[in-house]
Amino acid sequence: MILGDLLDSPVLGPDGARVGFVVDVRFALDGPLDGLLAAPRLHGLLVSPRTGTSFLGYERNGVNAPAVLARWFAWRHRGTFLVRWADVESVGRDAVTLRTGFRRVSAALPGSLAQRP
Amino acid sequence: MSLPPDEQQPGLVLDARLHLLDRQILDVDGVPVCTVDDLEVHGIDGSDRPDGSQQAVVTSLLSGAVLATRILGGRPPASRWHRIRWTHVVDVGTTVKLGVHGSELDVTWTERWVRDHVISRIPGGSHDPG
Repeated sequence: MILGDLLDSPVLGPDGARVGFVVDVRFALDGPLDGLLAAPRLHGLLVSPRTGTSFLGYERNGVNAPAVLARWFAWRHRGTFLVRWADVESVGRDAVTLRTGFRRVSAALPGSLAQRP
Repeated sequence: MSLPPDEQQPGLVLDARLHLLDRQILDVDGVPVCTVDDLEVHGIDGSDRPDGSQQAVVTSLLSGAVLATRILGGRPPASRWHRIRWTHVVDVGTTVKLGVHGSELDVTWTERWVRDHVISRIPGGSHDPG
């Protein structure tokens, strides 16, 4: 699967109703060892209910400056959530469908800014 | 409305658009090779189109001619991508660092072709300057 096929795809709930768009895909560096690094394991999809775009990850990294921009992006991406990969029922050509009982969890990145790539 | 935190929060995470896509790839000597244009993901059993019933991992970084498709939409056919296996990646930061020389990778074949068939035929072009 090419990741670009997943990005910006509509995300459908188990009832077929649209819950948002894939704005990013979160990987965890804890997959099987592949060379010097572990292979990035697909941890989940970041879903925005309103827009298929994201700008510099403002909505998930806690950056609050410049204040005007931070507030604008926080408002624009309100409701963005992470859905774990295990809650994905299928990845179709036109949409991603979630399982019954999928959970929305916070999209915030873990750790401080200095700890992130 | 605040959402609950992710209880299965892993240690080091990479958000594809935020931390990988469009980053410069450097070879073992620090020479720029290309940029990360896309990623190839496979199921842990090797399946090409995994779903949530199995783990999926990044197997390759992809680079290719994406300018036209970014403007006009779509994506290049799979055969046009150049793949750099994740095995070669040794560090991910503001750049993605490889543990191999760029000249060993398919993605730099055009540079080698131009060097061998064009530059080397120019008088003085077949040796290092200086």
